[in-house]
Amino acid sequence: MDINVRKRSQVQVIQLRGQLRMGPAVDSLRQTLEEALGTGDTRVVMNLSEVPMVDSTGIGLLVRFLALIKQKGGNLKLAQPSKFAVQTLRLVGVLNLFEVFDNDDAAVESFT
Amino acid sequence: MSADDCGSPGTGALSELVDLSIPAHSEAIGAVVDAICETLVSLEVPEQKRFEVALALQEALSNAVVHGCGNDPTKQVRCRVKSDPQGRIVITVTDPGPGFSPDLLPDPRRDENLHADHGRGVYLIRQLMDEVHFGPRGSEITMWKY
Repeated sequence: MDINVRKRSQVQVIQLRGQLRMGPAVDSLRQTLEEALGTGDTRVVMNLSEVPMVDSTGIGLLVRFLALIKQKGGNLKLAQPSKFAVQTLRLVGVLNLFEVFDNDDAAVESFT
Repeated sequence: MSADDCGSPGTGALSELVDLSIPAHSEAIGAVVDAICETLVSLEVPEQKRFEVALALQEALSNAVVHGCGNDPTKQVRCRVKSDPQGRIVITVTDPGPGFSPDLLPDPRRDENLHADHGRGVYLIRQLMDEVHFGPRGSEITMWKY
């Protein structure tokens, strides 16, 4: 999985490309999110437009970090989730835990 | 139910698509799922059905590696995929573990479980597939997609 991180208006925008599933992909994203939290960045947008699969391990990571970031007063928001990512998150009942936006700009602006 | 009859009534002859064993390591799972997806593409299985089968297989293999084998790469997980003339797909995943009681798993959609970082795999499999059978020892899962 490719993970691209950039900062826009004090918001970490994380662009993922590939399958978010158990193994190196989830391990890499966990490290990215831990580094963000470690530097005090609690405003995070995750773009899932190029993530065709999110498995239960990936979902577990997303909801765990959503809770951690919210505890610190921030938020983890989703941008452009793929059709199958939306289906999967909805299927296990966690889609409504996240704020979901049509694009990165809208997600970033929602923090201001 | 034996692994060979795959537990589904009234089916025609099954064609074997895949029969392989992999080391119980998380990095081995993705390659198997991707390879089976490519096979389903070649069989012109529709995208939605491919996605559902792939995610269910991903979850079954993950459970086998983590819970059945304790992430011990010296252990093996067996994966068999077959299809019948009606285009139905049956997948059997077997691990050497002691098994578990699937009916005792908590509902991941309950409020108190929504933020849990685990416990959604079997639920997803049951939602994505049309029939799911667990072997008598719980270390084998057979799942059908119509």
